[in-house]
Amino acid sequence: MSVIQCENITHYYGSKLIYEQLSFEVGEGKILGLLGKNGTGKTTIINILTGYLRPQSGVCRIFGEEMERLSPAAKSRIGLLLEGHIQHTYFNVEQIERFYSRFFPRWKRDAYYELLKKLNVTPTQKISTMSCGQRSQVALGLLFAQDPALLILDDFSMGLDPGYRRLFVEYLREYAAAENKTVFLTSHIIQDMELLIDDCIILDYGRILLHEPTAYILKNFRRFRFTATADVSAAGGGVLWNTEKIGHSWETYSFATLDEVRRELSKDGASIDALAEERLSLEDAFIGLTGKY
Amino acid sequence: MYRSLIFKEWIKTRRFILLSGVAFAALIAYIFLWLAQTSGSMGIVNLWETIISKEFSLVGHVKYLPLAVGLLLAVVQLAPEMQSKRLKLTLHLPMNETRIICTMLGYGLATLLMLFTLATLALVAGISVHFSREIALSNFLTALPWFLGGLQAYLLCAWICLEPVWRQRIFYAIPAACVLFSFYGSASPGAYVAYLPFMLFFIAASFFFSLHAAARFKDGEQ
Repeated sequence: MSVIQCENITHYYGSKLIYEQLSFEVGEGKILGLLGKNGTGKTTIINILTGYLRPQSGVCRIFGEEMERLSPAAKSRIGLLLEGHIQHTYFNVEQIERFYSRFFPRWKRDAYYELLKKLNVTPTQKISTMSCGQRSQVALGLLFAQDPALLILDDFSMGLDPGYRRLFVEYLREYAAAENKTVFLTSHIIQDMELLIDDCIILDYGRILLHEPTAYILKNFRRFRFTATADVSAAGGGVLWNTEKIGHSWETYSFATLDEVRRELSKDGASIDALAEERLSLEDAFIGLTGKY
Repeated sequence: MYRSLIFKEWIKTRRFILLSGVAFAALIAYIFLWLAQTSGSMGIVNLWETIISKEFSLVGHVKYLPLAVGLLLAVVQLAPEMQSKRLKLTLHLPMNETRIICTMLGYGLATLLMLFTLATLALVAGISVHFSREIALSNFLTALPWFLGGLQAYLLCAWICLEPVWRQRIFYAIPAACVLFSFYGSASPGAYVAYLPFMLFFIAASFFFSLHAAARFKDGEQ
């Protein structure tokens, strides 16, 4: 069953196209990461999904309800983390828990305080006086206490040092797996996503470049380095991605096998030597798919 | 849920409400001290005569305080919501979005009404000790548009705060300032009595402006 469905989303900011006919679904219990370079519209998708932006055309549904008319019941099942761990910073640790607890019938007070035990904060400490890392834990604690079926996290790693990032990812992974939660998240730090996400959508300017399981990308997408006697076509016939010359050698990326890549490279008549393949991290795969620039 | 929303508004505004209460109390105390001093120096009979023959207002000092309190309450209450677009968190609460905004504005209006009612009662009661009922009523009618102006200022400032586009905010500020000027034109006792229904109509209508601004925020206008 799909928790999130987006159909044919087209959106422009002024005359700049952000997406055209963007469609995807997120199944129940999946952790889906939305990756893309700056300006490809990751936050825009989150805004559309949560009903804070009306696209020019197309529709998104969460739990079968259209994003612009989410019922209070549907909203209570969606945990939302805004970019930068934004919260109501005029509250203190205790007040913010008391505030949210009355809105959610399944509120788990202990989950919030359990997570906060790890922080060196007092119950009366104002959130505005906390570091970004501490605020991220408060935000995560509130999400766990809300116990939503779907978590939407916009750039959860923003402003966090490596320790807090790892802490956030570990807690989130454990929580999502134990409770069969669906998670839709974006982050500009792709190393963190590798530890967390089941499925991956890679956005390019205006479209989805790839929507595949993370394990499939890590298993099949490779970097190939080689030397060539003549220039190689950068087009790659749909098999090769971002073929470019670096110094005297070349590199390209592909889901194809070594032999298939060699055949593709030799089509223009160039002699291909020292062709070697390398396994990739998700970050390298992302660069291979989207290019460095 | 409503109690929780009101709790949030209270946390944001409690210091400002206390400060406003102190400001009103200080100003009213000043007015009565001034009255005591003036009646002592010129005699209460002469003061009576001046008030009646020259339509002298005893509450003139309070004129712009309700306006300032109304404007600042809207800023104190709604600027934190618009900072980093925190209003998204508020509107994401499992409640009808119109009810959320109405509850927030209702809290602000109720707070102002409470402050203004207490201030008016204190002023009228204090004036009634030394002067006739007619003079107390006349001063009440003089001050009434100023207090209504405070409510109007709150709603118009809330409208401007909730508007997501800066250019549009500036555009809204011009008619808002014109409407507010109309509440503070004349200090003659009872000058505005005939206009009170219109003032009340303006106040009621401007409640809906904020709902429109919140709907624009929801649609992602920027």
